[in-house]
Amino acid sequence: MNTTQNQQSADNFKEIFSRIGQLTRLLRDSVANLGLDRAIMDVAEAIPDTRDRLNYVVGKTSQAADRALTCVEIARPLQDSLSEESTALKARWDAWFEAPVELSQARELVNDTRAFLDNTPKIASQTNEQLMEIMMAQDFQDLTGQVIQNMMKLIENVEHELIQVLVENMPGMMQLSVSDEPAENLKNGPQINQSVAGVVATQDQVDDLLETLGF
Amino acid sequence: MADKNLRFLVIDDFATMRRIVRNLLQDLGFKNVEEAEDGQDALTKLRASRFDFVISDWNMPNLDGLQLLTEMRKDDSLKAIPVLMVTAEAKKENIIAAAQAGANGYVVKPFTAATLEEKLNKIFEKLGW
Repeated sequence: MNTTQNQQSADNFKEIFSRIGQLTRLLRDSVANLGLDRAIMDVAEAIPDTRDRLNYVVGKTSQAADRALTCVEIARPLQDSLSEESTALKARWDAWFEAPVELSQARELVNDTRAFLDNTPKIASQTNEQLMEIMMAQDFQDLTGQVIQNMMKLIENVEHELIQVLVENMPGMMQLSVSDEPAENLKNGPQINQSVAGVVATQDQVDDLLETLGF
Repeated sequence: MADKNLRFLVIDDFATMRRIVRNLLQDLGFKNVEEAEDGQDALTKLRASRFDFVISDWNMPNLDGLQLLTEMRKDDSLKAIPVLMVTAEAKKENIIAAAQAGANGYVVKPFTAATLEEKLNKIFEKLGW
């Protein structure tokens, strides 16, 4: 009695395993028939690329923020020193006008004022340099913007592909024509990885290449 | 030394980059700077008034920088205007294609103020400006 029961449950297990096996095969075949395997592969391929691109965006934006903040930290003390020195000189001049003393005694004040006037354009130009650097740091927006636009195109393509698979496999539905756009291999946006063959990493390499072309 | 009254057209679909290039040009003393947001817009502006120098991005909607360059070189009234490409496109094919289409210079983004100045001066020198 017991052995028959064991035999039965073993047979049940076998049957269950083979049913699961059949279902798995059926599922895999349906996925392949539906064309989903291609779409899934596209998504799978897109993910590491997307991660690299997002990393590039994170890197570029944080670099830009860093650059701008560094400039602010350099420029603000310069402005503070101008303001402090001129305030101090003004106070001394005010005192002199209240109670003018002999020129010989005022000479120090005159000398200090001349030194300040001499120094001011230098400080102003140092501040200007920092402002320029802050401006240049904004170039990240163009670069990350291009990368994000490329990513949006990619997501749109995957979405189209998945919709196409659905449409193709829905009876009685109009066939949407999703034309695969020809790859525009000259429009890639910023290079995320500059060690890839065929990519110029620096302006010097661009110049070298142009030189070989007779520029 | 190039004439500070030269009229520049700066073409980029990103307003930030147009402003950066405009500011850099102003810093170099060039105050006559106009902007266009893509190649199509640029062609319209180039055909409507006189420009002496074009600085163009590559990857733009409607008409890209290479197409703009090609159109300009086909047009008798525009073909003599120097074109400096300033672009993030950094493949060898890009640089070769731009050179073959008749670009006068190629600056890869991100670039420095010094690089832009150097490339501009190089073009001015070649043109004897």
